[in-house]
Amino acid sequence: MNTWVKVARYNLVRPANYLVLLWILPLSFAVGAVTVGRRPPHVASGYLISFFLYFAVLGMQAIGQSLPFGLTLGASRRSFYFGTALLGMALALVSGLVLTALQAIERATGGWGLSIHFFRVPYLLNGPWYATWLTSAVVLFALFAYGMWYGILWSRWGLLGTLAFIAVQALVVVAAVVVVAVEHWHVRSADGGPYAGLTALGVTGVIAALTVLLLAGGHATIRRATV
Amino acid sequence: MTPAISVTGLTRRYRDDTALNDVNIAISGGTITGLLGRNGAGKTTLLRILAGQEFPSSGSVRVLGAPPAENEDVLRRVMLVREDQVYPDIKVGQALRAASWFRPSWDSALASSLLDDFGLRASKAVKKLSRGQRSALGITIGLAARAEVTLFDEPYAGLDAVARQVFYDRLLADFAEFPRTVLLSTHLIDEAAALFEAVIVIDRGRVVLDAPADVLRGVATRVSGPSLAVDALAGGRPVWERRRLGSQASVVIVGPLSPDDRERARSSGLDLTPLSLQQVVVQAAAGVLAPVPQTDSETERASA
Repeated sequence: MNTWVKVARYNLVRPANYLVLLWILPLSFAVGAVTVGRRPPHVASGYLISFFLYFAVLGMQAIGQSLPFGLTLGASRRSFYFGTALLGMALALVSGLVLTALQAIERATGGWGLSIHFFRVPYLLNGPWYATWLTSAVVLFALFAYGMWYGILWSRWGLLGTLAFIAVQALVVVAAVVVVAVEHWHVRSADGGPYAGLTALGVTGVIAALTVLLLAGGHATIRRATV
Repeated sequence: MTPAISVTGLTRRYRDDTALNDVNIAISGGTITGLLGRNGAGKTTLLRILAGQEFPSSGSVRVLGAPPAENEDVLRRVMLVREDQVYPDIKVGQALRAASWFRPSWDSALASSLLDDFGLRASKAVKKLSRGQRSALGITIGLAARAEVTLFDEPYAGLDAVARQVFYDRLLADFAEFPRTVLLSTHLIDEAAALFEAVIVIDRGRVVLDAPADVLRGVATRVSGPSLAVDALAGGRPVWERRRLGSQASVVIVGPLSPDDRERARSSGLDLTPLSLQQVVVQAAAGVLAPVPQTDSETERASA
């Protein structure tokens, strides 16, 4: 068996973390359905964020909790990283498929009979089934990879390293906002159309490119990690 | 023959601390070697580097003929059992199952038998194990993996005497059936001394002793009795330690004693006690590998 697959399997040896995924959707849907209110357009898709964010938590836990024993078992850092990423990708693809199916049901039932928009996220997840699957899987995997990077930093450099990482990102974001403001770039069109002229699939492409950068950064970091 | 472990000029620095300083060792395959030294001497750092869990600052490290860092062909054949092993939130049985996937020579029957010997339940969560039970889990994984190079770093911290004896017995029995290279770091030197074919002593990051255990066992003898007789026997010989109390004296003579020496000692009423391996290691760790000159002071002990 390939070491990447062994690592993915090792991460699943304690399935409790992953079984939480099964509970997040019905719980967040229930909260959304109760709180969405009576006035249209009944958009409760904000609650779907919890499902996406949990992928970052999963990525963080997969590395932070499992890396030391994983290396003791005989995996290299590289195999551990990409084996864990492989698991994240598989989970993202399956979860994306589930979201796509639930979105189709939501459409067919007129918003579950309540006119609710939960799985139809305006702009991002509101197109054909393949676009929903692709976009949701890419975003879920990107968050998983982002969480893995945090897990590596926490595992090796503790709170200080993690805070430094957050600070650097905050600086990058602030710099980007300043540049956009100074240069008077129009990120969003005046009529509420696509962001920076991008369609939902265009945004998916940008996130996919960012994911490659996240994976490269995480891999470069874990190669220096010691346990 | 290529040694199973070969380290040349290995140095590991952490900011203002040098954990390992120009370490050179070569360990033959199919042997059990004791890695000894004081707390903070650099033993754990060395073992972590050999297992690819830490990186050297400089120098060459080869395990089974190749550098271990990020080398899966080596890593799957090397096992490090650590006192401070961090486990994910899993159960004992799950830890063993995961180990069986990665280790090509894994012996499930041996693992089950060791669990029984140590009184461990497979269904118990690792985080709920006592310190000694965690050590027992580490030993179980380390032995059942049957890795070609097995590194034990204080593997029995918190284990009671009975469980420690189980470890020694099972290690020897399995080693006899499936020979491998074992490097065992421990502070319980005399307890484990019978296992060792060779001994490496590290002190402050440097190797201060690297010799076959048999040589070390006969390397020094404590001679005690009347001062005049002790001085007569010790005269002209290298001495490690010299103590005098009134008309009685005690010295540690370096080197083997001939049958004539022993007969002289017996007839002079001298007591001869071979230095234990632990005492030899204490001398080595204290830097007392050079003989101590004879003086008239009341009590004197060599210092580093």
